[in-house]
Amino acid sequence: MHLHPSAVQTGCYSERMLRLGLALLLTALGAAASGMKVTTHTLENGMRILVHEDHDVPNAAMYLFYTVGSRNERPGITGISHYFEHMMFNGAKKYGPKQFDVVMEKAGGRNNAYTSRDITAYTNWFPNSAIEQMFDLEADRIRDLAFDPKIIESERGVVSSERRMAVDNSPFGTLYEQVNATAYTAHPYSWPVIGWASDIAAYSMEDLKAHFRMGYAPNNCILVMTGAVTHEQVVALAKKYLEPIPRQAPPPPVRTVEPPQLGERRIVIKRPAQLPLLLVSYHVPATKHADNAALEMLETVLSSGRSSRLHRRLVEQDQLVLSINAGQQLALDPTQFIFSMQVRSGVEPAKAEAALYEELAKIAKDGITETELAKAKNQQIAGFYRSLKTIAGKANLLGQYEIYHGDHRKLFTAVEELEKVTAADIQRVAAQYFGENNRTVGTLIPESRRPEAAR
Amino acid sequence: MKLRLLTLALAAVTIMSAQVKLPPYSKKTLPNGATLILLNKPDVPLVTVRALFRGGAEAESATQAGINSLTVELMRRGAGTRSAADFAEALDALGATLQTGSNRQVSFAGIEFLERTQNEALGLFSDFLARPQFPEDEFAKALAQRIDASKAAKDNPGAALGSYFPAFFYGSGHPYARPANGDELTLANLSRQSLVDWHKRMFVGRNLILIAAGAINEKTLTPQLERLAASLPAGEAYQWKQKVAPPAQKQPRLLLIDKPDSTQTYFMIATPGIDRTHPDRTQLEIVNTLFGGRFTSMLNDELRVNSGLTYGARSSVDEDRLPGAIAISTYTPTETTVKAIDLAVEVLNRLRTQGIDAEQLLSARNYIKGGFPTSNLETADQVASILGELEVFGLNKGEIDDYFSRLDAATLAEVNATAKKWFGAAPLQFLLVGNAEKIKEDVKKYAPNMKIHSIKDPGFSVPAF
Repeated sequence: MHLHPSAVQTGCYSERMLRLGLALLLTALGAAASGMKVTTHTLENGMRILVHEDHDVPNAAMYLFYTVGSRNERPGITGISHYFEHMMFNGAKKYGPKQFDVVMEKAGGRNNAYTSRDITAYTNWFPNSAIEQMFDLEADRIRDLAFDPKIIESERGVVSSERRMAVDNSPFGTLYEQVNATAYTAHPYSWPVIGWASDIAAYSMEDLKAHFRMGYAPNNCILVMTGAVTHEQVVALAKKYLEPIPRQAPPPPVRTVEPPQLGERRIVIKRPAQLPLLLVSYHVPATKHADNAALEMLETVLSSGRSSRLHRRLVEQDQLVLSINAGQQLALDPTQFIFSMQVRSGVEPAKAEAALYEELAKIAKDGITETELAKAKNQQIAGFYRSLKTIAGKANLLGQYEIYHGDHRKLFTAVEELEKVTAADIQRVAAQYFGENNRTVGTLIPESRRPEAAR
Repeated sequence: MKLRLLTLALAAVTIMSAQVKLPPYSKKTLPNGATLILLNKPDVPLVTVRALFRGGAEAESATQAGINSLTVELMRRGAGTRSAADFAEALDALGATLQTGSNRQVSFAGIEFLERTQNEALGLFSDFLARPQFPEDEFAKALAQRIDASKAAKDNPGAALGSYFPAFFYGSGHPYARPANGDELTLANLSRQSLVDWHKRMFVGRNLILIAAGAINEKTLTPQLERLAASLPAGEAYQWKQKVAPPAQKQPRLLLIDKPDSTQTYFMIATPGIDRTHPDRTQLEIVNTLFGGRFTSMLNDELRVNSGLTYGARSSVDEDRLPGAIAISTYTPTETTVKAIDLAVEVLNRLRTQGIDAEQLLSARNYIKGGFPTSNLETADQVASILGELEVFGLNKGEIDDYFSRLDAATLAEVNATAKKWFGAAPLQFLLVGNAEKIKEDVKKYAPNMKIHSIKDPGFSVPAF
């Protein structure tokens, strides 16, 4: 069962691979042959609409992406974007408390939502017979959300429970949050998407209303519809239900730029756990940056599949870690490329750390082979097709591309960018970004008793 | 306004009631007893081939729990002429994925590959199934990794809850009484030779169901898959165990797994349920949808939406070959443990005493039907999974093709009688993971027969009651 409002995206690296894979598929087949016909429309209030028809099953997916996330917050209200994601299900003018879910489920639909550093996404899946109902429900909550003090309090409990599960009772969640807060000293990416516990406990009614005004302008939203729908049907319903909602000022630009890191940063967490954890994090550019394609390819070479360099060395050959993941999240601003490892019992985390650096240095010094490059491309082509299996997967991809590349059509021109990626580019980005001064290292050391102060 | 809404919803019913059906597929029995199923569903240029071997967890002995999943793991660590590393390299070079595992009925392996790499991918899959080498060093390595993974699972209290549940609920002697992948105690009993023997005995033609789905060419693929299946000996078919139900407990029991650093209590409340082919299954799916199977369910509504006690509360009905559990599961801050358990039990009692009404029944039907196409029939691997399930449980395709009419046929009286018959009719069994020091006195009231067990004790076995 999906329980919306869903997990905050903390260490979720999967999206990235889908995106790169998409470009490669197009290399292989040509844009027209991909079968991904997308039509667009912009409402008078600035809301952008993307439609992709697919009549394989009699269902549709409706995704709304608001470009507002934890980067639009400030100390004192951290996590409010995510908290607000929850509030969007708690009643509006026409459909009161609980009615969004009650009406939707009764019409055969289900929903979820997620919040990241950059966006808040609302995801609906339903039989195509429920399409008009969905527009009515979405329009109601965008236009006339209710702010009931009693519900606001109850939802605080839900979000606190989510935080306790995802962070406080999870060794990985705890370490990730602290490494992230150390890697950034100025930029809003430094605080967790779910927010600090003390902020969750303290949002005021005025904070919530201000956030709604800032983030939920129709001109700050992209609507993606996929499945058993037609362009004409979607546009007609959007005009009827969504176009009357007035345009508003979008969130102000995020001005703060993270200053360059001038030396390695290290933190240690001590808490009860069965095995140690190790996170190594490097500053890398935003998704739109020209080096992104090479970094994605490097990531595949390093950690996709059991034959990848890091899995082979650290998991199989030296048996230092149980698992290793690597990757970067989609990001509007400069972000982090993170390596996370579950260290084996009886192994010094420093040994795993040293082996990681050795592998990264090898690529910086000697580069990768043409065979590795070809393998990475095949892995990504197949990964792309996997992301296209469902109408939900397609809706998510289209929205993310529109946001992180500014235009979903850049899917088609991105192909040439990717084809240009060479083994030499991969060697260059490895040397450029994976340097000692650019990294933050976090180690979680299992301890049998948690200190009283940390309770 | 309410009336208008209802009309809308009712109008929707007639439109979406059209039954979605299984796409056409072919099925035949091969000379060595294997079943071969093919399905062309060319949405994307990928092919998925999945091999199921009957047996699964119920075939494992109590001391060898985890042997199925470790055997399929070892089969990729050196096969044909390739070493473990070479096999991984060859698989990745194609962009293919190979997923393995086991459940209560079967061990399984599924390879998914780009259509144009069919020959190479099937060559690898054939080596994997029929010519694994079981190298001693890879066995030692995989075993050590599994044991560490089993320990690490205790860092996730939600996962730990699920791993302790089988031993607590089914009790020793029952085939389902251990965690699916075994634990550090049972894995330590396995040797390389035990895996070789297991492979020889279980991974044979008479136990095999081979399913290919996706962008396939039946003409060229059929002979390839026939050769692949033929590379396995016919062997002896696994004999399913006698049907045995979970033990009928005469009184409530409560097991508290002590995790002193936990700031939340994770709990399950369970009662005996049904098997996969039980005649009450459709009605129970309706009841479970309303009770704890969706966001607006009675449980989630009370524990999350109305009271903010948790991020989510749900219930599930096992549908395996042997009768399983019906269970509530959720978590809550340590301080609100009793409040949350009280409320969960209260909601269960409300279902039993008040039942559901006609509007709820309609909503549940629509909800199940509305999500059915995208969760079962949208992708080739979903359909492959369903076809395998039908085969394993001996069900016919009416299970899918007539599902909507079975949902429609369930009357309110029948559904309520079924709810009463199954949900909480037997004494409730409570399993908790949390800070025992803080909650043990308060939770005694649920079951005088209470035991406390430290999470630090090795494995997922539990004290006898």
